[in-house]
Amino acid sequence: MIKRNLGYFILILLVCVFSSCFQIIEEINVAANGSGTVNLTVNLSASKTKVASIMLLDSVNGYKVPSKQKIQKEMDEVVAYLKNSPGISNVKKTVDLENYIASVSFAFKNISNINNVNQNVLKKMKIKAVSNSSYSYSPETNTFQRNYAHTKEALTEYNKLKPEVKNVFKEASYTSIYRFEKPVSTCSNPLAKVSRTKKAVMLNTGMLGLINGKTNISNKIILSK
Amino acid sequence: MNYYFKSAVTSAFLLGTLTVNAQDLSRKIPADAMAVMTIKGNNFLELMSAEEFNNTFIGKEMFSKLAKEQNNNYNSVEDFGFNLSSSFYYYNQTNDSVSYNCFLAPVKNLAQLDKVFEQSGKKFSINGKQRTFFNADSSKIMRWNDEMLLMVLADGRSAYFDRPEIRERFGMSAIEVPQAAVYADTAATVTDAVDVTAVATAGDEVMDASEVIVEEPKPRARSKKKSSHAAKSRKTKLKGKKSAKKSYKKKPVKAQPAEEVYMDAAEAAASAAVDSAAAVVDTAYAYYDDKNSPYYKDKRAKTAVVARWTVKMIDNAFTGNDQNSILKNADFTKNIDQKAEATIWVAGVEKLGNAFIPSTTYLKDFNFLSGYGTANAKLYLEEKSIRISSAMTFSEEMGSVLRKVHQRKLNKAFLKYVNEDKLIGYMAYSMDTKSYLQEYPKLVSKIYGSLYSDEIGMATDLFSLVLDEEAISKVIKGDGIFIFNGLSQKEVSYKSYDYNEENFETTEVMKTKKETLPDFLAMISTEDTRLINKLIAYGVKKEVVKSKNSYYEVTIPKSPLALYFTIKDGIIFLGTNATEMEQIVSNTYQAKVSGRHKSALLGNNYAAYFSPKRLAGKIPAEELGSPAKIEKANKTLNSLGDIYIRSYPMNGNTFAGEISMDTPADQKNSLKYLFSVIENLK
Repeated sequence: MIKRNLGYFILILLVCVFSSCFQIIEEINVAANGSGTVNLTVNLSASKTKVASIMLLDSVNGYKVPSKQKIQKEMDEVVAYLKNSPGISNVKKTVDLENYIASVSFAFKNISNINNVNQNVLKKMKIKAVSNSSYSYSPETNTFQRNYAHTKEALTEYNKLKPEVKNVFKEASYTSIYRFEKPVSTCSNPLAKVSRTKKAVMLNTGMLGLINGKTNISNKIILSK
Repeated sequence: MNYYFKSAVTSAFLLGTLTVNAQDLSRKIPADAMAVMTIKGNNFLELMSAEEFNNTFIGKEMFSKLAKEQNNNYNSVEDFGFNLSSSFYYYNQTNDSVSYNCFLAPVKNLAQLDKVFEQSGKKFSINGKQRTFFNADSSKIMRWNDEMLLMVLADGRSAYFDRPEIRERFGMSAIEVPQAAVYADTAATVTDAVDVTAVATAGDEVMDASEVIVEEPKPRARSKKKSSHAAKSRKTKLKGKKSAKKSYKKKPVKAQPAEEVYMDAAEAAASAAVDSAAAVVDTAYAYYDDKNSPYYKDKRAKTAVVARWTVKMIDNAFTGNDQNSILKNADFTKNIDQKAEATIWVAGVEKLGNAFIPSTTYLKDFNFLSGYGTANAKLYLEEKSIRISSAMTFSEEMGSVLRKVHQRKLNKAFLKYVNEDKLIGYMAYSMDTKSYLQEYPKLVSKIYGSLYSDEIGMATDLFSLVLDEEAISKVIKGDGIFIFNGLSQKEVSYKSYDYNEENFETTEVMKTKKETLPDFLAMISTEDTRLINKLIAYGVKKEVVKSKNSYYEVTIPKSPLALYFTIKDGIIFLGTNATEMEQIVSNTYQAKVSGRHKSALLGNNYAAYFSPKRLAGKIPAEELGSPAKIEKANKTLNSLGDIYIRSYPMNGNTFAGEISMDTPADQKNSLKYLFSVIENLK
């Protein structure tokens, strides 16, 4: 009893003390014929001291803390779901519980195959999808498009969170990288950066801007013929 | 108006009188007041003159706001007409049917006060030296003369007005019946009662407020009303008959928004003389919503009843003989300290709790505040410190429990490991674990006793049976201290990604960042270390505890925070500093405790100390952000004096404590110092 209380005291101290933030990285490689690969990564390494402390608690700030087994199991479910999705193949996952990094990668026949998938994967990873997002690629016009619409629901959900939890999102970041076989000729989103080879586009932004709708990550990328 | 009164209360807070002079208005406070707040104007004036206050940033802001909102040009708090060198009071009087929040202020210049109302466009009635003002729905009534101003905000208790017999008596619709049915019912009674509502025929005049008259089951009622905003709206009169039948008469005319309405005080007094009073009720809500809905009719009826009671209550305060005043209450008079700038006194915490905790079926059998008696808090603005003392008196039963629990004193040996030059703050407590464990079940059974007496009885017996109070109290005796030594930073590494400029290919990289960690030492008294030693041995075996010869290190996975502990001379030490632990076990720790800290720690059951100055400059820049923020935080911390919190030993059944802040050596006037701190925070 005493040991347990002392233990809790130390844990609560740790949870309060450490800072926290996370990053979500979405990489999509698109081939000329419209097929390609996706790599989704959630990285909590920067807050691993905090996560490690949180993992020792049953729940924190009123939210249930999943166990390592539970995290593994949920990732397995994500993989199983992907394997059964049309047009999706070569599904792989890595879970690094030392640094708290989880990632899923898979190949798609057509970019439209991933439209529902990304939302559902995030949902299964217990991340509330913050947007209505869709991708399209037309080999004829050499146009890759990401359509993104902010949903008010994201902000409503966010506002429901406790202030301590909100803080987690303040420093969280979202990165998307699209790579192509041909060089990019135009890219509509001013926040996006084109690589030196002109064959990749990166957009790096804060999560908070996405939640409150201040940042738009829609992008229309036209490749040179 | 609201702002005006807020300003008046604020200025009352800051300035005002004391001395038991002829004008002291405490004699006007009824003996059954549940809580009284006293503000000694004179004590404030001694620290800051009215003129000085006018020139403070708060004063200037107040006048500029008033000028903007009401087109008034005030230059001094003295322009409001109050006697700033006398005492100002707030009190609450609550019974089963109504709760009054009252503000009582001494008047110095009647003409000035009248002018304040006139300038802000508030119409009031005059009867000799008495003036009366009603707000739109009569929920706020003010009366003043050349001696005092009394403002009453009254609120009818819903528990009372929800009772069927009460609703019937005041002509309100029955709660159980669906609203539609009630409406039909009331409509039917209207024709019945047309004759009684003849009073309502004020010619062709239409009023912007409906008037509700509720008659007491006594003589006939006569009431009149004048409205400055006549010929605008409509008038509804309701007369509750002895038979408790409802009667509504509606005179639908073009409706206009209701504004301030007042009642002629002379007529009010006349009505009161025949044991009846008229009240003016706002139609604002009726105008914006369905004015005929039973909900609003009920609301109007309730407000009217409450307003009538309030007028009566105010009449008493102005014309009564003050025989039954709060000055008859020995506990109140004993606790008014002439030196305190402000005092809050509560007649009975249990009483107050019972009056306001909703009496739902779930809560009615629990008595959370059982055994809590009178309480008070006093603010002192002294030359060397600003302090708030507070005290609570308990019932004999509860008092004896607290005396037993608080009989332990802090372990003197702790002081050997306190160095006041190093620390930023501390918290210490001492209570007797054995008494606590023995007495705790009794407290629980008092709270839940009436409802689950059998179950609680068994549970508390079981509690005593399972727990060996004596044995536990040997392991954890019940006293401890937590010393906060500051903050330190440690580097931690984490994985992130770098993107090459060529094609944004990602590479995993290790990055570092700084985590801010607290630096502390905690001590707990123990007598029987066998259990703890077993726990340590178990921890070592499971590799969560590392032995460092004479002390131990707790290994926390992935944590940069190092934690060390040891047991020595009946004290369990837990801290973040390995060097300090080594010094403790090798008897080389350099202690330094001044007399002030020593008496605070050893003389009280609870003691805490915090030095904001010492924290200044120690908060890592990363935690605060911009340089401007860092500068502001440090400036604020530097301007604050040392803060002490302490409890006093139990005196009879009274438990008292104090929180104080030293004023810096160069500040001789606590009030002016306080103003400067607030101004800096802006």
